[in-house]
Amino acid sequence: MSPEALPPSRRSFLRTSTGAALGLGLGAATAGCGFLPEDPNAHGDPDDPIDVRVDGNLIYFNWADFVDPAVFKGFEKEYGVKVIQSNFDSMEGMAAKLNAGNRYDLIFPTAKWAQRLTEGRRLRRIDHTRLKNAESVFGAYDYFADPWYDARSAHTVPFTMYKTGIGWRKDRVGELTGSWEDLWHRRAKGKVFVLDDRDEVLGLGALKLGLDVSTADEKDLDRITDTLQSLRPHLRGFSSDSYNNLLNGNAVMTQAWSGDMAAMLGQAKDPSVLGFEVAKEGAPVNSDCYAIPSDARHPGTAMLFIDYMLRPENVKKNIEYIGYPMPVGGSEDTYAALVEPFPQCLVGADDLKDELFFRNGSSKGERARDTAWTHVKAG
Amino acid sequence: MAQRTRPDGGKPLDRADSGKPAPRTDGAEPLSRPGRGASRSRPGPSAAGTRLWTWLMIPGTLWMTGFLIASLVLVAALAFGTTDPLGNPQFGLNFDNIAAMADPAYRAVLLRSLGYALLTCVICLLVAYPVAYAIALHGGRYKNLLIAAIVVPFFANYLVRMYGWSVVLSDDGPLLRALRAMGFADGDTKILQTGPGVVAGLVYGFIVFMIIPLYAALERMDVSLIEAGRDLYGGPLRTFFFVTLPATRQGAAAGCVLVFLPAMGDFVSAQLMGGPDQIMIGNLIQDKFFQGQNWPLGSALTMLMMAVLFVGMIGYLRRTRKDEAEAVR
Repeated sequence: MSPEALPPSRRSFLRTSTGAALGLGLGAATAGCGFLPEDPNAHGDPDDPIDVRVDGNLIYFNWADFVDPAVFKGFEKEYGVKVIQSNFDSMEGMAAKLNAGNRYDLIFPTAKWAQRLTEGRRLRRIDHTRLKNAESVFGAYDYFADPWYDARSAHTVPFTMYKTGIGWRKDRVGELTGSWEDLWHRRAKGKVFVLDDRDEVLGLGALKLGLDVSTADEKDLDRITDTLQSLRPHLRGFSSDSYNNLLNGNAVMTQAWSGDMAAMLGQAKDPSVLGFEVAKEGAPVNSDCYAIPSDARHPGTAMLFIDYMLRPENVKKNIEYIGYPMPVGGSEDTYAALVEPFPQCLVGADDLKDELFFRNGSSKGERARDTAWTHVKAG
Repeated sequence: MAQRTRPDGGKPLDRADSGKPAPRTDGAEPLSRPGRGASRSRPGPSAAGTRLWTWLMIPGTLWMTGFLIASLVLVAALAFGTTDPLGNPQFGLNFDNIAAMADPAYRAVLLRSLGYALLTCVICLLVAYPVAYAIALHGGRYKNLLIAAIVVPFFANYLVRMYGWSVVLSDDGPLLRALRAMGFADGDTKILQTGPGVVAGLVYGFIVFMIIPLYAALERMDVSLIEAGRDLYGGPLRTFFFVTLPATRQGAAAGCVLVFLPAMGDFVSAQLMGGPDQIMIGNLIQDKFFQGQNWPLGSALTMLMMAVLFVGMIGYLRRTRKDEAEAVR
């Protein structure tokens, strides 16, 4: 098991290790630049069409280890440019860097953040007709032709898709029932982890109760908090490092992102002791997108890179490297082969429902959800 | 740099100068060491010297103002702010965040953090004292080597060390496996995700801050005091409690402050070694900054934590001042 062969789950290690980011966050705060009101059109009209041509090196900003390094090398070689990488460990971290005035050519927001950035006029318009390979996405996956977070996908191209479910040790717990209720399983008592993520944890409570995943209603939130309090005796921790917890035995059951579970398949000595299920009450779905910030210095290179990433051979390499499926026609077999032991990791067209995405709320709503999350976490 | 060229016409510059009866003319000072030259003949600072010291203070003052006071003011101001939809913190005059502090959840977490930090301090003191004592008084020519052996591992990033420590403490990790083999633990015993696990992490993380000041205090201590204690027929224990311990009290106090403050605000240990019932105030602040992107609420929490620590620090300072006063008497 060579550490290079398999990427760590993108949200796992880095998210638990925000220590390093603290320095940067404080740096931004003391510099104060995050607070300057910025003219959204300071760098030109974000609606201007982008010429698809090399206009400099690519300044790339994504989750750590989320593209096969061989794909980067191929791009650098073919177009004679360098890919200058930096990584974020959460959407909030990404937004903080953008707000602090850092300029990137290509970023990868989730659906919810794509909507926020679009509405804040922080993203350049992407003309799909200029991308040779865009048809493999928009032609094959109707959902992304006009998603809720970005009308007609005018500013984004979907990159990956995933669901949230339950990963567990079959050898320790046995078979499950396919419900969020399974987290309360008596044989997993004291060895259950949930993700260290506000929306995901409140979302599982909401789905179990048959509520909206993004609810900000105070009464709903109270019911959710009560439900999650009853999970506390079973709970060992909040951690987004799902697969390490399962592999090292600290968890026998954990809330998990499908892609992380798929990535774990290659690391487990005996994958047959592991299972991944998606609850019948519903599983939150999400999608990461390609997006070009409005202040990008090299938007042309970014367009070329998106097109290059959508080539079938690169899609295949990336899927095998990161374990997340991509909404690209023709890539389904590759992913199905990869997650053969965990068929529920597959994300199909019928999984993509607006009401299963985490949505943006009003500022009052977000505050109510924050308070609920504090109560869940602090007990 | 003769005194005679003083711009104020030779009047004494400060209290150090006044009251000295003999005018310090070149070469006429009886106490000046011979052969050092006339320019060295002044016990008090000259005008040029004072000016130099003023200049030398500038970088430190700027540093303190810029990185301590200004950032503190910024944090305090932000506690009254709001955020825009993109998470940009906005200054304002909004008391929601302050009102939120009344939530009992914060009080419970704050008390827990205080408890963990205090416990960490006590354990660090108990563990570090013998170590520092052994090195300072019995280290001989290996002293520096031993101190290096303690300090060098701390060159590694704090997070990496803590992550490694969490592996050591994990259910299938070496520590529990060894305890199980020796019959001290059964299959259900766990250290991770327990209070002791978090405190173990904090102790591991900060103990060097206790060892170093204790070592410095013990090293500085006059060994003849111990000998004097023995000469007065004090046994080793008596000598230790009545001579060594009081003589190193300042070092212990400094160590306690150095351990307590970071332990109180730490979030890595509770994150890696703690479970849902071990959340510390640092974790909540971290959440507000990095997950909720609610910097204003994070700032308000930071101010709350600092207020609690401030009260403690005042107590400590008054106490040490009293100690010093007694020592002088």
